[in-house]
Amino acid sequence: MEALKNAFDFSDQPRLDLTIAGALALFLLIFPLLPVSAFALATMIQFFIFSLYGMGWNTIGGYGGQVDLGKAQYVGIGAYTTAVLLIRWDIPFWFSMPIGVLLAVSWSFIIGYPLFRLSGHYFAIATIATSLVLKDLFEVWDFVGAARGLEISPIAYQPPDYLRLIFKEDIYYYYVLFAFFLVGILYLNWFRKSRLGFQLRAIKDNEDVARSLGINVHWAKIKTYAIATGYVSVVGSFHACYIKAIEPEDTMSLDISILIALMAMLGGAGSLWGPIIGAGILIPLKSYLKEWLGGMAGLAGMDLILYAVIIMLISAKEPRGVWGIVERWRRRKRS
Amino acid sequence: MEILASSIVAGLLFGMVLALVALGLTIIFGVMDIINFAHGEFLMYGMYTALLASQVLGVDPLLTLPLAALVGFLLGIACYKGFITYILRGPMIAQLLGTFGLMLLLRNIALLVFGSEDRAVHHGVLVDKSFEMGMGIIVPATKLAAAGLSVVAFVAVWLLMNRTRMGKALTATALNPQGARYMGISTEKMNALAWGIGGASVTVAGALIVNFWPVNPYVGLLFTMIAFTIVALGGFGSVPGAFFAALVVGLITEIPGFWDFLTYTLELDWMYDVPMTSFKYMWIYVAYFIIMVVRPRGLFGWKH
Repeated sequence: MEALKNAFDFSDQPRLDLTIAGALALFLLIFPLLPVSAFALATMIQFFIFSLYGMGWNTIGGYGGQVDLGKAQYVGIGAYTTAVLLIRWDIPFWFSMPIGVLLAVSWSFIIGYPLFRLSGHYFAIATIATSLVLKDLFEVWDFVGAARGLEISPIAYQPPDYLRLIFKEDIYYYYVLFAFFLVGILYLNWFRKSRLGFQLRAIKDNEDVARSLGINVHWAKIKTYAIATGYVSVVGSFHACYIKAIEPEDTMSLDISILIALMAMLGGAGSLWGPIIGAGILIPLKSYLKEWLGGMAGLAGMDLILYAVIIMLISAKEPRGVWGIVERWRRRKRS
Repeated sequence: MEILASSIVAGLLFGMVLALVALGLTIIFGVMDIINFAHGEFLMYGMYTALLASQVLGVDPLLTLPLAALVGFLLGIACYKGFITYILRGPMIAQLLGTFGLMLLLRNIALLVFGSEDRAVHHGVLVDKSFEMGMGIIVPATKLAAAGLSVVAFVAVWLLMNRTRMGKALTATALNPQGARYMGISTEKMNALAWGIGGASVTVAGALIVNFWPVNPYVGLLFTMIAFTIVALGGFGSVPGAFFAALVVGLITEIPGFWDFLTYTLELDWMYDVPMTSFKYMWIYVAYFIIMVVRPRGLFGWKH
């Protein structure tokens, strides 16, 4: 009960932020009912997916300061668990999703234990390496369709199938994901005020001091890593039902891992709203750039060039992200 | 036995080329603690330089090495002056993602300019020739030349780093930038120089690799990851470490072929479905992971 109350308690946030957040939540609630194109709706779903990934990353990467560039492997575990269970044994989403989380979290404990003995660059590259190992394995493993991947055929089910999460229209997916999104925010709100959240921020500021205060640094990091994994894996499961065709290349590639971290960094790592802001800017930008420039003949890769320039500008000019700008602005106003 | 011997020789030869690939990364990391995701794209530009120069000028790809080195040197300095210097003081995550952005930029410019199809060198003095080394070991001439020239280039850079005034200034910057500044070394210049040397060495490696490896704009990432692994195995910033680690990695990529040969000769039919060669890059990452965990500083690392 106490935890639940804490999760709903946003009172430490400035009133202005809460008003804006409330207005945006209302806007998101009615967004599909407005006359918007199917493309806009699909972009919005991508926004939810990536802001949830970003929130997961933000626990370990933002609050904990551990640069994790291997989150894509858990997208893969979640997505593949759901797809395999559905195709082979017809186990619905709401049962396969927890199983996926369980598998992903177990895997995160197995590799997290040795991983967190490393730090800095060593840690970052090791996370990439583990993700690539898993991707290579899935690319040759016949049981999960090897490099061809898996396809959930929508014909075999009767949409709308709420149990298996098979729908024809995107609007159903939108609202399911919106619910996940709200739960994700509430959980993160609880997390940042929990004992673990404070321990983690202490670790980020100074690991040695944290250790001398009696915090079990290694264990705190592993636990948080598992939480981040849980977020990513749930959305990975959803991704499988939504996209309906998954393959190792587009669930587990390095690009996904980087994009997840980028989302949080652009918005402002280590803040409650950061990943959401980041996803809100980056995802529409990316998908509209692709729509606009990707199809032009003779300009292959032009959209990615612009995207790359934006990444470079952010990391050079504003590495603390949009939230960094807001906070600096507030501090100046106060003084 | 012959197959094993030739796998080992092939692995060692490839490892020597990989050493040159990783050299630039380890110098750059040693001097300024930055991990360069765009490293493989430099290699890709080296490959394209050699390929196009040999086609346009009609000379052997091996003669284009100086040109490739020049391109790499200029590209490295341009990247440093134009971008890296702005992210140096930022947090680590900004550095990682910034160089990732650089990688995307270079890759997609290549895509725009060169197109996405595979290109390969089809002519040249060495192409399609091979040496018989005895014991049934056959080595393609291109790989042998690439390995030999890589070692030459590697030693040249090593001498440059250790025997010249400039190299000593570079090492001083790596060890203690502030101290180096007190001694009147312009660390800014040294950083740019590290990028120049790093870029030049990796584009030369690219110009050597293009003789036996087709090039497309996406070829870089694999080599970036291999170079990361080598650098981490050998220890970030350690030049001799990079060389030995590269030999290890070269062996790791070639031994699975031998393993597959074993499964076929011994008729282990349960292994037929999963040829080890399809995992060959995975073993590199596994090796990286294990060595990192057992010895987090790498085999020869001095920087932590």
